[in-house]
Amino acid sequence: MVWVETVLNGIFLGGLYGILGLGLALVFGVMKVINVAHGDFIVLSAFIGVFLSAAVPGVSPLLIILPVVAIAAGLGWAFQSVLMNRVIDSDDMLVPMLLTFGVSFVMRNIMLETFGATPVTLEAGALSRASFQVAGLHLGVLPVLTLAISVVLFGGLNWLITRTEIGRVIRATSDNTAIARLMGVRPGRIYALVMALSLALAAVAGLLLAMRTSFTPSSGIDRILIAFEVVVLGGLGSFWGALLAGIALGVTQLVGFRFDANSGLLYAHLLFLAFLIARPNGLFGSK
Amino acid sequence: MILRILTLLLAALVIGCAPLLLDDGQLSLGMEMLVTFVICAMWNVLAGYGGLVSLGHQAWFGIGGYAVFIASNALNVNPLWLLPLAALVPALIALVLTPLLFRLKDAYFAIGSWVLAEVFYILVQRSDALGGITGMPLFTGGMLGASIYAQVFWVAGGLALAVLVLSYLVLRSGFGLGLMSVRDNEVAAASIGVNVRRNRRLVYAVSAAGVGLAGAVYLIPNYFIQPGIAFSADWTVIMTFVVVIGGIGTLEGPILGTLIYFAIRQGVTDGLGLSGSWYLVALGALAVATMLMAPKGLWPILRDRLHLDWLSVRRPWPGRPDRAPHHQAPAE
Repeated sequence: MVWVETVLNGIFLGGLYGILGLGLALVFGVMKVINVAHGDFIVLSAFIGVFLSAAVPGVSPLLIILPVVAIAAGLGWAFQSVLMNRVIDSDDMLVPMLLTFGVSFVMRNIMLETFGATPVTLEAGALSRASFQVAGLHLGVLPVLTLAISVVLFGGLNWLITRTEIGRVIRATSDNTAIARLMGVRPGRIYALVMALSLALAAVAGLLLAMRTSFTPSSGIDRILIAFEVVVLGGLGSFWGALLAGIALGVTQLVGFRFDANSGLLYAHLLFLAFLIARPNGLFGSK
Repeated sequence: MILRILTLLLAALVIGCAPLLLDDGQLSLGMEMLVTFVICAMWNVLAGYGGLVSLGHQAWFGIGGYAVFIASNALNVNPLWLLPLAALVPALIALVLTPLLFRLKDAYFAIGSWVLAEVFYILVQRSDALGGITGMPLFTGGMLGASIYAQVFWVAGGLALAVLVLSYLVLRSGFGLGLMSVRDNEVAAASIGVNVRRNRRLVYAVSAAGVGLAGAVYLIPNYFIQPGIAFSADWTVIMTFVVVIGGIGTLEGPILGTLIYFAIRQGVTDGLGLSGSWYLVALGALAVATMLMAPKGLWPILRDRLHLDWLSVRRPWPGRPDRAPHHQAPAE
């Protein structure tokens, strides 16, 4: 029974990891940029959430998500318009990545100096402790809710990209920027929109993670590595692959944790490296 | 050529005599600058000439350090005599891992190498034999005697000069040309007979070895090694930023970048009195600004302004200079 619970909790955690990777996959899919600062934006959103919930006590942390997502989306828009759009046309994809690497490092150290290195959690009150029993299994409400949110976000983004007008424009810009421009699309604006969307997803992930575990300004490194592993394992451009990859990583981490109490992300990283040997194109990647 | 040899001899003389004039604190700072230059130069060889951007190079820094600490404690031998291990162990591990790592390209390679470094860090942290999170002392530290700072300064200086001379010679050679051709166009390089894979493996292993050596030299005078410091991601951050600021793919870039880095560090910490990691914020901000405004780094700008061509590995056009492929006609 303990094992079933562990695996189920791994799946719930995996839903969260899926959201971590989703924003990163979106930016990579559209702009071919790996945003290394994604993890630090996740941590920054979590800090904003902690401050907001301290400022307005008594409000459910699930409601706090809304203003934080709005702030994160604004930050994403500004980040893309002010910084990233200047290097996005570089023919070397490493230039934009190194820029985000620089931004990531600056953000992390400013947060360290401002918020200190003490671990913080987002107090979710009764929600974080609430649990229920199904068929003799003891499950937490928050983890189940997290997976549900994750599935909704994956479905929603998939719908947005494949079924709507704006999704069509985004795909067109990604496929052929020059022709999209001829059709009256302003690529810079589309990129800013995509980054806003990506960081909004990062904010959701950041708050859900902060309700689950404590974090410090340096936690961004763990977050970005997991997010990156989700993207690579899931295969490029495959949204549902990313969710499955997140679940695989979540289950691996928690099962590893059962065997080996202070393994942290070790087994998740090892799973990732093992997959690189077996399937370099990811779970669902095309050959 | 004479000029280059003279500057080199002068640099060797300065490094050789410095311990006679400087106190231990200054020597320690000097050693740190030399080590920083070495790791940055090694990162630059890989990224700027080999076209492989690694974000996990702190792994080699830590592995080099641990190799010497473990061997010295086990064999009860002066750690400086065991420095070859700090090059050998990282190089061998790098060679074993490249078949896996090279499945990843470009940005994927960058983050994949970072994951790998994180795995090494976690493994060392969990090893009780290596002292876990708290780390382990260097029991043979006493063998180094009182002149430890002078000794490591000389070693670091020798290493820095060797890195400079060897990179210059290698990059001017046919191998270097082949390496750069792989960076510029892999398919074209392969089609004219350059062994792309072997070149990349070799340069990756050499880069790992150099960083490993630098790590051991830096860590030995602490008499203590801690995974959090030896495997700190900050090492790679410094390598990346210093090279980006100085000028990626130039031999002078890491020298200029290292000088700028230490100027920022002393300026922010002592000058402005801001402690902690603010100097890192300043370094990162300068790196971001450089990427936006001068993507090739500061050295190429300085070089063109001052008409310097000190360590360029470019080969002169063999024919008439005005027929050179990139010759620009004078404005009319």
